[in-house]
Amino acid sequence: MRILLVDDETEFVATLAERLSFRNMEVDYATKAAEAIELAARKTYDLAVLDMKMPGISGIELKEMLKKQCPGMKYIFLTGHGSEEDYRAGSSEASGYLVKPINIDILVTRIKKALEAK
Amino acid sequence: MTAQYDGIGGSGLQFFGKVSASISHELKNVLAIINENAGLLEDLTFAARRGAPIDPDKLDRTVQNFAKQIHRADEILKNMNRFAHSVDQFECRVDLHDLVVLVANLAARKAAMGRILIETKTPAQPIQFIGNPFLLENLVWLCLELAIAATGSGRTLTLIPEKTATGILLHISGIDGLGEPLPVHDAAGLEAVRAALGAGMATDPAGNTLTLRLG
Repeated sequence: MRILLVDDETEFVATLAERLSFRNMEVDYATKAAEAIELAARKTYDLAVLDMKMPGISGIELKEMLKKQCPGMKYIFLTGHGSEEDYRAGSSEASGYLVKPINIDILVTRIKKALEAK
Repeated sequence: MTAQYDGIGGSGLQFFGKVSASISHELKNVLAIINENAGLLEDLTFAARRGAPIDPDKLDRTVQNFAKQIHRADEILKNMNRFAHSVDQFECRVDLHDLVVLVANLAARKAAMGRILIETKTPAQPIQFIGNPFLLENLVWLCLELAIAATGSGRTLTLIPEKTATGILLHISGIDGLGEPLPVHDAAGLEAVRAALGAGMATDPAGNTLTLRLG
């Protein structure tokens, strides 16, 4: 399974990518929306894990941009706080949201569940 | 003296809430990085127990990440502590540059979300302000909110304290353009804080610089 991680915190996203790759996932990461869009134009991903709040763009806005490039891709959102806006994001067409710091086992379970439903 | 706070009403409380929310968000990010790096060590230990070699560079990088995040959290908490203690005294002598640096640090995340940088300029001589530090922080924050809202991404806002023969000034320069009326979310709150401090507020004709007159 191919996963795209997007978060502006480099140390977070790079380490999480490494940990997911230990769990037999093919992972690429981006720290900027433009990088994510570029990656999605070159490769097909099954699922994207997006931070809700990034400089200049929200996770929801990025999802809308990525949806045009990758219509079948699933989404999981990461957030620093469980606000009402985050909750709405998780309960719409995305496969949920997780509050940081995340539990990797829960993230892996969510990813698998989202891809099973595909 | 508490009448100063009665006058600003909910605005002061909102300011406190916004700063607290921003700090908690920052700390969540720090914890998330520490959590992932601790998890990575766990993964590497698990692999090593099964005979996989340990890469010392990877361990070194992980340790550096821990140290960096601990330093970051310490800086965030120092700012939070200074901010929390600013309500201790209703009137005291404040170094204007120190206060401006504190508010710039507290507002850095909000600015970064709009891809805006905040810089501060150190005055040639220390500038002392005598008054209520919390109210002044609130006023600088509200003006920064205004400046951020009126400035496009990629720009830098500069806070410049200045002492002239007629008084103390604080300029916020680098704004794309403040039109009339000013794009203020909480006009009543801004007016209440400004009035409580007895501060003046003006913009240059192009709307690129907002100046506070602090007495």
